[in-house]
Amino acid sequence: MDAGAVLGQLVVGLSRAMILFIVSAGLTLVLGVLRVPNVFHGSLYMVGAFVAWSVAEALGGHPAGLWLALATAPLVTAGVGLALERLLLCRLYHREHLMLILFTFGVMLVLNDLVKLLWGPTYRSLVPPPSLQGAVTVLGVALPRFNLVLLVAGPLVAVGLWLFAHRTRAGKVSRAAATDRDMVAALGVDVGRVFALAFAVGCFLAGLGGALVAPTTSITLGMDHSLLIDSFLIVIVGGLGNLWGALVGSLLFGVTQSVGLLVWPQFAIAFPYAVTAAVLLVRPTGLLRSAW
Amino acid sequence: MVNGRLVAGLLVAAGLAAAPAVLPPFFLYLLALILVTGLLATSLNLVLGYGGLYQFHHGVFYGIGAYTAAVGITRLGWPAWLALVAGPVAAAAAGLVIGFFCVRLSRLYFGMLQLSLGSLVWIVALRWYPVTGGDNGIHGIPLPAALQTLPGAYALVACTVAASLGVLWAVVQSPFGLTLQAIRDNPQRAQVMGVDVRAHQLAAMVLAAFFAGVAGVLYVALERSVFPNMLFWVLSLEILVMCLLGGWFTFPGPMVGAAVLVGLRTLVGRYTEYWTLVLGVLLILLIFFLPEGIMGHLQRRWTWTRAPSPRPAAAGDARG
Amino acid sequence: MTDRRWRVLVAAVVAVSAVAGAGAAPAVRFDRNIKVGVVDTYSGPPAVFGNDALNGFKLALQEINRDGVHGARIEFVTRDEKFSPEIGLSMARELVLQERVDVLVGTINSATALAISAFAREQRVPFIVWISKSEDITGAKGHRYVFSTGENTAMAGKALAEAMARRGFTRFWLGAEDYEYGHRITNSFWKFMKRAKPEATLLGQTWWRTGEPDLVPYLTQIQQARPQAVFFGTGGAGMANVLRTMKVIGFNVPTAIHTAIDVTVLRPLGAAAPEGVFGTTDYLFYYPDTPANRKFVQDFQAAYGGPPGFPAFHGYITAYFIAEAFRKARSLDRDRFVEALEGLRIPTPVGEVEMRGCDHQAVLPMIFGVTRRDPRFPFLVGANLVTIPGRDVMPTCEDIRRARERAQ
Repeated sequence: MDAGAVLGQLVVGLSRAMILFIVSAGLTLVLGVLRVPNVFHGSLYMVGAFVAWSVAEALGGHPAGLWLALATAPLVTAGVGLALERLLLCRLYHREHLMLILFTFGVMLVLNDLVKLLWGPTYRSLVPPPSLQGAVTVLGVALPRFNLVLLVAGPLVAVGLWLFAHRTRAGKVSRAAATDRDMVAALGVDVGRVFALAFAVGCFLAGLGGALVAPTTSITLGMDHSLLIDSFLIVIVGGLGNLWGALVGSLLFGVTQSVGLLVWPQFAIAFPYAVTAAVLLVRPTGLLRSAW
Repeated sequence: MVNGRLVAGLLVAAGLAAAPAVLPPFFLYLLALILVTGLLATSLNLVLGYGGLYQFHHGVFYGIGAYTAAVGITRLGWPAWLALVAGPVAAAAAGLVIGFFCVRLSRLYFGMLQLSLGSLVWIVALRWYPVTGGDNGIHGIPLPAALQTLPGAYALVACTVAASLGVLWAVVQSPFGLTLQAIRDNPQRAQVMGVDVRAHQLAAMVLAAFFAGVAGVLYVALERSVFPNMLFWVLSLEILVMCLLGGWFTFPGPMVGAAVLVGLRTLVGRYTEYWTLVLGVLLILLIFFLPEGIMGHLQRRWTWTRAPSPRPAAAGDARG
Repeated sequence: MTDRRWRVLVAAVVAVSAVAGAGAAPAVRFDRNIKVGVVDTYSGPPAVFGNDALNGFKLALQEINRDGVHGARIEFVTRDEKFSPEIGLSMARELVLQERVDVLVGTINSATALAISAFAREQRVPFIVWISKSEDITGAKGHRYVFSTGENTAMAGKALAEAMARRGFTRFWLGAEDYEYGHRITNSFWKFMKRAKPEATLLGQTWWRTGEPDLVPYLTQIQQARPQAVFFGTGGAGMANVLRTMKVIGFNVPTAIHTAIDVTVLRPLGAAAPEGVFGTTDYLFYYPDTPANRKFVQDFQAAYGGPPGFPAFHGYITAYFIAEAFRKARSLDRDRFVEALEGLRIPTPVGEVEMRGCDHQAVLPMIFGVTRRDPRFPFLVGANLVTIPGRDVMPTCEDIRRARERAQ
């Protein structure tokens, strides 16, 4: 196993980690601010992928089609999430966690079947524009060109979220509400609006993750399954509500699996779970600070 | 009050006994499947509803029980009775090991650690092809002739489930069970009163795991197959939903939830492929109109029991 | 001859004919329609194969039901197993116990096929496998009630291994999906490769989860190991992904995959499929270009808007096997059906196909080729095609007998 192979797999793992980060960031935001374990977060990821495909198909392979798809899909999922939050979810905040899990599970079932109804059971393929097709050789490894987009998108999202959380009023209020919602309400802030915004942003990120992954894989029913449990574990490992935690967790997951393939190919898929278990045993509240 | 429950219990027992003569074969199989799944859900509820623990991966113990029996019979040549006993024992041991690590955490973290440990077990079953059959699972497991017929398997299932539910009911009513509920309602207070909270929770987990293992070997007796899906988190989430759907503060709730879910999947599934949509809508309606689950609602209406109904968690400022 | 003698002679001939006619089969009429239960995957990536098979089956039924089988039509019901053996088994159970089907048919997932086969044996219901390829289905785990109208991993492995050995490849890497079919096809390929070239070496093997969406890390790792050639054991769930990923990262190692040259695999991928991949299949809509095949393709295209792949061909001959077996059995009794089906030969668009009696495996040829662009179609096709007769690649009846004994 030479250094070149390890570096190559590292790069591959990094691009995968970027998708995990974008999706997990959304989940950790929702968990941190609203304290809602959103089980349909993965379904929104899937919806984002399918919507991206539809938009790109509608534009018939026009090079701008992909970019429009990347812009549209997250807006759609944000809209869906916002509607669900305003109409149904906001009435359940005072209920216990298990009820919230049950509710979001029910929504997940409904969303998954709606996807099947709207797009049918066969899988879809989204081909990136010619400028992004093929592969480049990075550190001796053939990396799909589109994965470079992922390597850029991840940090962009991270920076964007940090700016939102620390430089905008809405973001600062969200962070405050994550720590102590009663106090924030007592200060006269409409906490309902804060929650709605945070939820919408979280759903936006889920859809963005799905749209970004669409050109690299088969867009199919059930693509949300493994991603959902991975993002929940990442969020726990990183610390609930902690954006940097989500980044750290995603890097851990992405890289341990791809480099793990060189070390122990049979059980490489076990590494993320082993890492999570190890972290939880040593630092039960996650690697970085948790909101609650 | 006792009479009502006794009469209902006797009616149910009579119905179960008459079933093989009355029901067509497919429905008899369905009833057996509901009983097995209901036992699994009830065992989960021991730690979920009565213990207040976020047991997110209960399916692991079910799968371990089933796989132990399957591997024992097909790869190790064990006689059937040994395999059927070894399953729950192995599941209980797993409950001890996983529980030991999990009870040190609370709430969401308890559940997440269990999810990751359980997923490791799933991966082992998935990858250890020569022993566990990998992604296929193991099929056509040979059992004694009496169990190979549907009425025979049903008889085993019905009797074992009835006995197991009896034991679980006794546990819940016992001092141990009451202490467990006290811990659920207020762990700090219980601790202050001298109760070893962790030990109680661990004991409850081991017991729950044991009966999940019983459900697992009953599944083997009924289907004569095991699948790695039994160890996958989706099934665990489904069992959780069964408890919540049926009423997680009641004893018969999980069984009712299991009946609804299995029935829905099979009967609605024959008419539409979108039966999960129906289930999803049902769950959402349930949360708004029947928050205590089906049995919880019914029991409150008929005040059969003086068990405290769940109080919603600290009502903060209502939103929206 | 005199007038009288003629009349006697004619009367005698007529009388003998009448007696002979009566002694021959009296007309049989079935008192109800024949019901077939189909279990297959109709959601997710494998659905394209399941739909193809069902379409071929329906096309044949249209033709068969014009005259019927002893007055009965063949009806069918379908169930979606979602590529899960657990669901497939419960669907089969429902079809047999509740819908009371005469014959079970399916499926693409080899693990499901084995699970249903065990169930069919216990219930004594005939089960015809039309896409699943595990050689255990008619081999070690075969029995009286299970049949296969598709090729199996023993046949495909042998054909591919011998073709790759002829090309001089000896240092291999094996990659496959970690389930029944992946294991069977990979083991079969390697077994026959070692037989053909004992000096062949295995540099390593990689197994990934069935239906794994992101294969980039696996393929890049394999490429870095620099093998001389690669064999991929991917099935319905992973085929599209592996081919697409190969093209995207420019996977430049000579690769062999079973069914890589089939239209069901190549058509949905279109331009995203890689050229130069070696593959085998047992049916191609453009080869051999016989009038019968052309007519079949024309009818299929008119009915379903695209050319038939190997699943459609299997589905088509399955319907005809069922019809002819019931016709020959002259009864709806399942055991008579099984006996009639053994050794049955039927005409198909590519010639006569026999259902071998000793193992209930249809004798199908293997076509070996390489993927190539073709100006006639918006998708890749197989080029440099070579046909290997079924008998040359199937295990012998003796092999089957020994395999079944060992499994006991």
